[in-house]
Amino acid sequence: MKIEIKKYCIKTVAVCLAGLSVFSLTACGANGDPGKDLIISEEVEERCVNLYSPMEKTDPDAENVARSATDKTVILAEEQLGIKVAYITYTAEDYKDKTYDDVALDRARNDMDDLYLLNPDVIRTLGEEGKLMDLSGLANVENLREVVKTANTVDGKLVAVPQEVVAYGLFTNKELFDQYDLELPETPEEFLECCRVFKENGIETPIGANRWWLETFVFAQAYAELYNGGNTEAEIEALNSGEAKYSDYMRPGFAFLKEIIDKGYVDAGKARVSEAIEGEGADFLDGKTPIVMAYWGAANTETAYGATEFEMQVIGFPSSRGQMPVISMTGFGIGVNAEHGEDALRALEIMTSDEALQIYAETNRVISPSQNVEVDCVPALKPLKDRIEEGVYVLGSNAGMKMEQWGNTCLIVRKLLDGATVDECMEEIDRLQEESLSK
Amino acid sequence: MKKKLNGNRKSKGSSLLLSIIIVFFVLGTIVLSVSHKISREMSSSAIQNLSESLDLIKCTIEAILNNEAEFQKLIAHEIALVEDPEEYIRSYEKNQSMVKMSLVLSGETKGVSNTGETFLAEELDFSLGDTVKGLEVSRAYMNYMGTWAYTMKCPVEKDGQEIGMLYVEYTYDFLDRSLPTGFYNKKAMLYIMDARSERFVLKPKGMGERSAGHLNLEDFYRANSIEDENIRENVNDCLKTGKNILFYHDIREKKSLNYMWAVNDGTIYLVGYVPIEAIQQEGKAVNQSIFIVVSAMLIAFLLCCLFYYLNQRQQNRLRKEREAEREIHNKQLAEALQAAQIASNSKTMFLSNMSHDIRTPMNAVLGFTTLLAMDAENPVKVREYTKKIMSSGQHLLSLINDILDVSKIESGKVVLNIEKFTLNSLVSSVDAIIRPMAKSKNQTFHVEVTGIQHEYLLGDETRINQILINLLSNAIKYTQEGGNIWFRILGLKQHSLQFEHIGIEVEDDGYGMMPEYLETIFDAFTRAENSTTNKVQGTGLGMAITKNIVELMGGTIEVSSEVDKGSLFRVELELRIPEGQADKQFWEKNGIRRILAVDADEEGSKTIQALMKETGVFVDTASRVEEAVDLLRHGGDYHLALLDWDIPDMDGRQAASELRMAMPDSMPLFLLADCDAQGPEEMAETGRTGILTKPFFVSAFKEKILEMQMEQRGEHIIKAIGSEDLEGLRFLAAEDNDINAEILAEILKMEGADCEIVENGRLAVERFETSEKGEFDAILMDVQMPVMNGHDATRAIRALKRQDAREIPIIAMTANAFAEDEKAALDAGMDAHVAKPIDIEYLKQVIKQCTGGKQ
Repeated sequence: MKIEIKKYCIKTVAVCLAGLSVFSLTACGANGDPGKDLIISEEVEERCVNLYSPMEKTDPDAENVARSATDKTVILAEEQLGIKVAYITYTAEDYKDKTYDDVALDRARNDMDDLYLLNPDVIRTLGEEGKLMDLSGLANVENLREVVKTANTVDGKLVAVPQEVVAYGLFTNKELFDQYDLELPETPEEFLECCRVFKENGIETPIGANRWWLETFVFAQAYAELYNGGNTEAEIEALNSGEAKYSDYMRPGFAFLKEIIDKGYVDAGKARVSEAIEGEGADFLDGKTPIVMAYWGAANTETAYGATEFEMQVIGFPSSRGQMPVISMTGFGIGVNAEHGEDALRALEIMTSDEALQIYAETNRVISPSQNVEVDCVPALKPLKDRIEEGVYVLGSNAGMKMEQWGNTCLIVRKLLDGATVDECMEEIDRLQEESLSK
Repeated sequence: MKKKLNGNRKSKGSSLLLSIIIVFFVLGTIVLSVSHKISREMSSSAIQNLSESLDLIKCTIEAILNNEAEFQKLIAHEIALVEDPEEYIRSYEKNQSMVKMSLVLSGETKGVSNTGETFLAEELDFSLGDTVKGLEVSRAYMNYMGTWAYTMKCPVEKDGQEIGMLYVEYTYDFLDRSLPTGFYNKKAMLYIMDARSERFVLKPKGMGERSAGHLNLEDFYRANSIEDENIRENVNDCLKTGKNILFYHDIREKKSLNYMWAVNDGTIYLVGYVPIEAIQQEGKAVNQSIFIVVSAMLIAFLLCCLFYYLNQRQQNRLRKEREAEREIHNKQLAEALQAAQIASNSKTMFLSNMSHDIRTPMNAVLGFTTLLAMDAENPVKVREYTKKIMSSGQHLLSLINDILDVSKIESGKVVLNIEKFTLNSLVSSVDAIIRPMAKSKNQTFHVEVTGIQHEYLLGDETRINQILINLLSNAIKYTQEGGNIWFRILGLKQHSLQFEHIGIEVEDDGYGMMPEYLETIFDAFTRAENSTTNKVQGTGLGMAITKNIVELMGGTIEVSSEVDKGSLFRVELELRIPEGQADKQFWEKNGIRRILAVDADEEGSKTIQALMKETGVFVDTASRVEEAVDLLRHGGDYHLALLDWDIPDMDGRQAASELRMAMPDSMPLFLLADCDAQGPEEMAETGRTGILTKPFFVSAFKEKILEMQMEQRGEHIIKAIGSEDLEGLRFLAAEDNDINAEILAEILKMEGADCEIVENGRLAVERFETSEKGEFDAILMDVQMPVMNGHDATRAIRALKRQDAREIPIIAMTANAFAEDEKAALDAGMDAHVAKPIDIEYLKQVIKQCTGGKQ
């Protein structure tokens, strides 16, 4: 036994000495050659794709699931194609600044970048302007759900492909509802009743809002019948032909918003200048606000509402057909004159492949645009998911409608927040409808 | 002493350890201070390097701005020269630097732009008064391309009059091309900040776009947790005064050097941070190298210590082993010394005992010899004295024999002489010796043999005899007068069919022994001593000899004893059974097929049956005489009957008479009786009745039958013992010792024989050679003699070319009394061996055998 230990010690010492010798020799061998060019040859410039995408103004050390999910697919593309995807970002400092969408439009129109992550209204606008590349030829288009293709097709061209189907819902503090013996609301009336009770019980602002997402209330009430009444195509056709008016659909929603503003259930002043989640998120997380509106992914994201200390339930918006999810899609588009268009196309092909979408969906636990990808969701999202699986939802944007919905409605809701009447808002909608019909 | 040594070793080890620690501490301090010094110098150098790099970037950006301003002035000058300045503007195509060009003619509020839209100067903020080469610079803004931009305005003068204002928009993106790629190996962060709005207007590609914190200065503070008010105030002061600032602050838990570097008199700033590890990369590399070198030295040192330690440990171990070995040797030596002392003591004691034991009979011999000399005329006294001298001489001889025996057994020279023998002869010879001894002390000697399956066995009869004699003579010796001695031979359960397992018990009701003596009874030179036994003479070697012989035979010996109650010695031996021992032919030849044994003792009957089993003779047993009579009268076709003389409730004579009446006259009757039984002899005279001494043995039985047959045939057994003297015989004796020669001559003379003495073997040979044929009847040859010993002389005689040289009996007469001596004598050609001192009766017997009773 002792002899073995001794042998082992000798071996160890021998290895150490050998290691030291090698180290010493390599250290000595690095002397410069007098005639040699000392400039370290620069790396071959790698191919680059510029991606314009939003950036969240959040704590950089916190885990941002949404960004991580996209990053994972970007890394997949970088690895497979040997390219570098450079992120270009913009965030408005305040409401007076240009919005992300404004800058997206400007940059796309001036061919500043290759790949853009765009909101539905921008997709539609740029699609109509012919600034986005037709993506119908992508290898994985056939995997996409029909509703996804419909929502992103402009003038017969598939101009954007999303990585997730974004479902908007009401994020509720179930414990506060239970505290005041309130059921989660199904209809606008029930919703108003809940707000009344909260208000009476000292909750000053029952609804936390920002300048972007109040429009989801309008869509839920406006299109609950249109998308779930069984006569969708005819009704859209009627709207596109001018036979029917968008204002007729949207009036109840705006009236509803006007009422909650007037009754102080929403702090209009704060909402007008608040960015998404940033404005209302803190109060909701502190249990001061029982209701906020947000997208599906916020329930999974630590930086949003992924780690509440209370029981949270995400439900659809109140409508005549009960709780109504509002579905929207931010999609990736490629500039038609993109400097690195080909690489951007290949990158997008990988980023929206089933493999990448599976990674994305598993990371964010969201609804995937690919019909081949299915993942579980967090318990809080179950009510919303159940409704979507039942096929009950409205689209927040639809490229099949001639009038752009998502962006326009958002702007008009802001006017309502600024103090416009419901009628004034309806007039604006009528004007926009006419404008779109005249194109 | 040992403790002191250990203490010294420990204190030595402690001081060595302390020295090592001190050396390491000093070495560590030196290395640490050197490392810190290098770090400081490297850090200072890196700060210098960073400052220079930032200055370079600053100069580059300023140069671009200046160029842009100069170029704008040239364009303004050119516009002043063209006929239609607005058309000039519209026709301008943007490039990467100047992305928009606008002109507002004097006196107008709106102007034209190359992008085609109406230009409103009021949309731009020139209120801050920043300038480049005298041209005013607007605040940074997000331009129509969705990127951060600034505009410089330049008056268009013609003939000394201002005809309009030229606005040219530049993007900050353009500056990106002039910035270094991979600033500090891509570990540093570099932004360009508009000083007035504190917005970050350029975030170079590949430099942290994926991280938050690059919206504006406040966002930068928040994202990087720069909350120190002093730092913020210092930064604000610098921003106001257009100075540079460098400060340390942790960025994402890494110590970093943060910078705000003013460009163009502080209108824009280079903002960012460099992790210290990136700045001190060289320092770190140097420190790592130092660390490796120190580690290597440390490891080498530790290895040396380890080897030293192992070596020391091994040496300690060896030393301890040697010490242990020495201790063992010392112990062994001490033990050997002790053993030697004990042996010496034992021998001293032995010698003392022997001296006493030898002197006692010797004293008797010499004393009685003196008395003999004085009373030579008194025949009664002479006979008495010679008897006592003889007794003392015999005791002396047994003493010498025992000593020699012990010495021989202990040196392992004893060889067992395995031969076939019968238990009958063994018991008979023992009985013949012991019974008279017992009788002399009025002791009763009982002999019992039970359960024996085989009578003929293989073994050294002489040695077994020796065992029995030792045990029995001891029993007699240590039993008071009138006591009892029991000698039993028991057949025990056989372990193997080839071996007879016998137990020998010698019991007495004598003095018994103390328990402490029992422990040493089998040791040599020990003897039970008390006031009673001290009267008893003995060598103290008998038991040691007995035990050694028993063990030599593979047997065991045990003893149990109680003082004043007696002792019991039990010997167990396994003796091989010889093949074909049963003499069936004798019984068949004499027509003896069935006998009747009358014995009240069931064990006795069984022993008879067992011993007779192999003879093929069927044995019927009867425990009572009536039963035997009945068997004899009704159907018993017996050829002879055997009757135990000691049959209970009936006198032996009566029993024998009754049996005899029931038996046919021709049928022999044998009476089985103790040797001292009264009455059997009378019955024997009645005819066809024989006496068989107990215990029963087949061989003895057979002999008696033969005797009876011979008597019937009228033959008389000639007594072997004829004339006791050696009348008329003439011997040649070779004896070098004069006294022995004289004794021999006198003894032979007393026996009527003539003897011629020669002094050595050579003379014996010569004398025989010259003798006439038949002159000598035998030659008595001593063995150890000068000139030629007895063996050589015998060989020489046998080699003589005389006819009688081979025939003349040569009898060895020597003090070499062992079996091998006898064998050597026989091998040399002698005919017999007689040990000295000479037993005249034995000598006569041997001479007769050799000479064939010639006289």
